[in-house]
Amino acid sequence: METTLQPELHQHLQDAKARIDAATAAEELRAVERDYIDKGGVVAGLLAAITTLPPEQRRDAGQGANILKGAVLKALGDRKAELEAMAIDAARSGHGFDPSLPGTSIRRGSLHPVTRVTRELEDIFSSMGYDILDGPEVEIDVYNFERLNIPGDHPARDMHDTFWCEVNGAERDSNMGLLLRTHTSCVQVRTMERLQPPFRVVVPGRVFRQETVDASHEHTFHQMEGLVVGEGLTVGHLIGTMKTFLREVFQKEIEVRLRPGYFPFVEPGFELDARCPFCATPGAGCRVCKQTGWVELCPCGMVHPAVLQMSGIDTEKYTGFAFGLGLSRLVMLRYEIDDIRHLMGGDTRFLSQF
Amino acid sequence: MFISYSWLNRHVDLAGVSPHDLARDLTLQTAEVEGVEPFAPALADVIVGHVLSREAHPDADKLGITKVNVGSGEPLQIVCGAPNVGPGQLVAVAVIGTNLPDGNGGTFKIKKSKIRGVESMGMICSERELGLGDEHDGIWVLPFAPDDNGHLIGLPVAAALGATEGHYDWVIEIDNKSLTHRPDLWGHRGIAGEVAAILGRDMRPIATELPAHGDAQSVPVHVESKGCSRYIGIAIDGLKNGKAPEWMRHMLLAAGQRPINLLVDISNFVMLDVAQPNHLFDRTELKADGILVRDAREGETMVTLDGEKRTLSTADMLITSGGEAVALAGVMGGEASKIGESTTQMLLEVATFAPAQIRRTSQRLGLRTDSSGRFEKHLDPTLPMKAAAHLVSLLAELQPGISLPSAPSEGGAWTDPACDVRVRPNRVRAVLGLDAELLPNQRMEDMLTSLGFGVSGADTESWTVRVPSARATKDVGLEEDLIEEIGRSYRYDNIPEQRVLAEIAPVPRDERRNLARRIQDRLSGSSAFDEVMTHSFLEGNLCEKLGIAMEPTIRAINPVAEGYERIRRSVVPSLLGLVPNNLQLRGEAYLYEVGKGYLPEVTQGEFQEPTEIHEVGLVLARSGSVSVSVADFANTSLFLLKGTVEDLLYSLERARPGRAGIPGLVWVKPGEGELIPPFAHRGRCMVAFASDAKGNATGPELAFVSAIEPGVGAALGLAGDSVADVAFASVSIDSLLSAPEKPVLHRPIPRFPGVKVDVAFALGEDTLASDAEAIIVQSGKGLVADVQLFDLYQGEKVAKGMKSMAWHVLLQSDTKTLGDKDLHKFLTRVEGGAKRIGGELRKD
Ligand SMILES: [Zn+2]
Repeated sequence: METTLQPELHQHLQDAKARIDAATAAEELRAVERDYIDKGGVVAGLLAAITTLPPEQRRDAGQGANILKGAVLKALGDRKAELEAMAIDAARSGHGFDPSLPGTSIRRGSLHPVTRVTRELEDIFSSMGYDILDGPEVEIDVYNFERLNIPGDHPARDMHDTFWCEVNGAERDSNMGLLLRTHTSCVQVRTMERLQPPFRVVVPGRVFRQETVDASHEHTFHQMEGLVVGEGLTVGHLIGTMKTFLREVFQKEIEVRLRPGYFPFVEPGFELDARCPFCATPGAGCRVCKQTGWVELCPCGMVHPAVLQMSGIDTEKYTGFAFGLGLSRLVMLRYEIDDIRHLMGGDTRFLSQF
Repeated sequence: MFISYSWLNRHVDLAGVSPHDLARDLTLQTAEVEGVEPFAPALADVIVGHVLSREAHPDADKLGITKVNVGSGEPLQIVCGAPNVGPGQLVAVAVIGTNLPDGNGGTFKIKKSKIRGVESMGMICSERELGLGDEHDGIWVLPFAPDDNGHLIGLPVAAALGATEGHYDWVIEIDNKSLTHRPDLWGHRGIAGEVAAILGRDMRPIATELPAHGDAQSVPVHVESKGCSRYIGIAIDGLKNGKAPEWMRHMLLAAGQRPINLLVDISNFVMLDVAQPNHLFDRTELKADGILVRDAREGETMVTLDGEKRTLSTADMLITSGGEAVALAGVMGGEASKIGESTTQMLLEVATFAPAQIRRTSQRLGLRTDSSGRFEKHLDPTLPMKAAAHLVSLLAELQPGISLPSAPSEGGAWTDPACDVRVRPNRVRAVLGLDAELLPNQRMEDMLTSLGFGVSGADTESWTVRVPSARATKDVGLEEDLIEEIGRSYRYDNIPEQRVLAEIAPVPRDERRNLARRIQDRLSGSSAFDEVMTHSFLEGNLCEKLGIAMEPTIRAINPVAEGYERIRRSVVPSLLGLVPNNLQLRGEAYLYEVGKGYLPEVTQGEFQEPTEIHEVGLVLARSGSVSVSVADFANTSLFLLKGTVEDLLYSLERARPGRAGIPGLVWVKPGEGELIPPFAHRGRCMVAFASDAKGNATGPELAFVSAIEPGVGAALGLAGDSVADVAFASVSIDSLLSAPEKPVLHRPIPRFPGVKVDVAFALGEDTLASDAEAIIVQSGKGLVADVQLFDLYQGEKVAKGMKSMAWHVLLQSDTKTLGDKDLHKFLTRVEGGAKRIGGELRKD
């Protein structure tokens, strides 16, 4: 075909092809297209010039121009396909790739570690049919002490290091004495006054002790109280419940031991120790358990009949058990936090890790 | 409480039972043992030496050069300064390389040394150097006659003295808390009784009866106070005070009691032995009228034997003689009548005082003593006479010359608390979760008997159990108390676990807890805030800075530190308190807390409980100054926080995201007179309400969002170089609970394409964006599907007092594809609308 082109057209074609072959980017091809094909381009010029030719040459000239147009378009198309193929090939290259460059950071929030563990426990107890309840943190003597079988001059009050409160320096009757609750056990009484047995409840929340703060003591910490009242409940049920709960928390079988513990609102009362889950071999001792092989996990016991009776529950028909889990302690165990002050410290360098 | 292993062995044979076994058994059956430590561990390291000779040091008068046989090798040459060292003695020798206590909790190593030019190959030890008290006048001469004890030479001293597990004695520390209810266990004999029951061994007897007495006139005793149920006074003559025997001094030390002199030591020994406090008076200091136990008079003073002058009240009880106080009953003796080195005649007081009264006195005076601690546990009133007999018998062993010149005097109206309790074996098993095979009746009976209870009617379903007086004062009075006795004897640890069987029913929904969870999930999740927990106490300084120091709060009477009395009303101030530190460390703080506040002025219920509020507080703070350009509003902490709160309220379904013209939330600037927190920015704060179908505010106030008051910011140190853009918000969970739910509803995805157009208004600078948006929506006659503000400008390109605002508007129909004609009509109406709010449509 080319051979049939007039030399002038042939020259155009040669020039165009040279530029097309040399092109390495789409814009260069586009420029060739503009120069030859578009309005005002070479082909359009040739066609426009036809009218100035003698009639017998017009047909050939027209054909020639169209041939030129076709040939340029084809060359453009071929080169474009070629360039695209090359680009894909090039994109396949992993040259210079550095997988160690940092991922682009995004803002993220955090859930307080106490919230995380509380939720985990709430979920476990919910799945066992427990209600989750709440109670006030500013309490009155009646609920924190009296109705828990700790009357006014009971020496057990000494253990509680109570924050006593006042409003406008006004005296209140002793049973209405304001305080910051020293345990979540107050909610036991509030629960028994409200619900009819049988019931199963847990109560997470903050509690207060007037203590000097150091790495292992805080005046504000978290507990989770449990209370189960029903017919025929035994110490065996308490042990079974605590074991089940521990299995769920630590996701392994945990050996526990129950030993006498004194709390006026339970009888009998116990301390529940768990085999330290952090010892290399169970019972061997480690830093967490202070080399004893046991961690003190929660005081518990059968609800004292006086407490049940004060809340109007028939003690011949119903028995119950209660436990008070040290939430802050569990949190510290779980995340290997060695300073309890971090929990209430509000330092985002600590918080943002969770 | 510290318990000496050897001391326990005085009461029950501990052969074959190691201190650690004992500790474990006590922990599992009686009370928590907190530690087991060797007593005077140095005795295991020093060895018995036989002093062969002593010569004077050539260059030092006071030093001697001894030759000491330590069993192996040549006798050692040891330079010794003690005046009492002499040939023939058996002594404790620290040879080279031995570590001895340095008296400050550490140790030091004995080295070969030269003393004034003479080589010394070790040290002959005094009692103090071995941790055996204060005695340092000379070396400790071991209590062995050298002639019969040659085989001991070279042995560790502990071994020579009869060691247990390599040590002279062991100290078992028992957690006081676990003894709160057991007045009987505040002495070695009580603990020994538990050990005897655990091991199934018998107790060794002690004296319980006083010896015969003379017939002289007894010391008169009168009891006036109701708080004294029993007072026994026993005159003892023929005393010679001095040093207590070595075994007693060492046992007292092991129990944590410093030896003083024989009489004081015996008094302490008896208290630490049978848990009965007692007091010794020098009888020559008492007046002829004897003893009167009476309540103190208001303002009466006395000097207690610690030398302190005490001012008393009518709530306190006194032991008086001749009208003068000689002891603060149950707490501490008086200075004037205390036993001295020369005392030969004394009056022994053994009494029972009311626990509550002793407790109140000791608390009020801040005077906790071993005595008051025991009385407040409720001591057995039959114990005083037994304790007196024990004391006199111990004293007589050491000083056979003593005598009781007269009969004991007694006052007070005590009754024996011993009582009967019904115990049903089936009930015991039912509570413990044991069957008759695991816990047969006979075993139960044996357990009770070994703990000192009497069982009768054991062949019936309902036993009568006699509770001895020592257990009946406080501890045991109910069937459950005896269930505990049986349970711990069985060992709780041996009770098999059981599953709770219960009816299946859905757990009631707790909407507040659900809301709290959703709030936490949203804020810690997509909003990327950090959840904090802060103290309920508000520091006084912070309150001053925030301008809330005068707000009514509940106050702690005994705060953890001065300035931390206030219990917060809201969580926001605590969060603001965290801002400066976090900004300094990280340059920004996105914090929230779900917490409680307390309003003391509103009380409720039978007990006038203060009102508890539940809220979520948020703080958003970034270092750097707040942009003054209105155009930058979107990048201010205030509007970032507003956006966060809007998203939160939508996610909680208390409002529904707005659609064109109907805002999801209506934000209102509080009026001039409305109360806002003093730390809120009066000009840059707003309150959110849910909107009704017409876009009007409805329901309770859902949230308050504000920039910080600039003066407060400066007070917090957020000014100058540390300037920060701080905004805060509070969302009342109580209001959320009362607000009607607006559950998420699906909106159909449009079927026809929309037309996008930008609309720009020139407006007066006080015109609200919401008013302009309303114009745009009205102009669409139902076709405006979306309006998004994308530009706000104030500056040279618009007239002074004016601003330019521009929106992306989407016109869309549910029934057709819109065309140019629709767009044109819309723009015409918008142009008219703009004029109605005093602005104009910009066409540039
Ligand atoms: Zn461990």
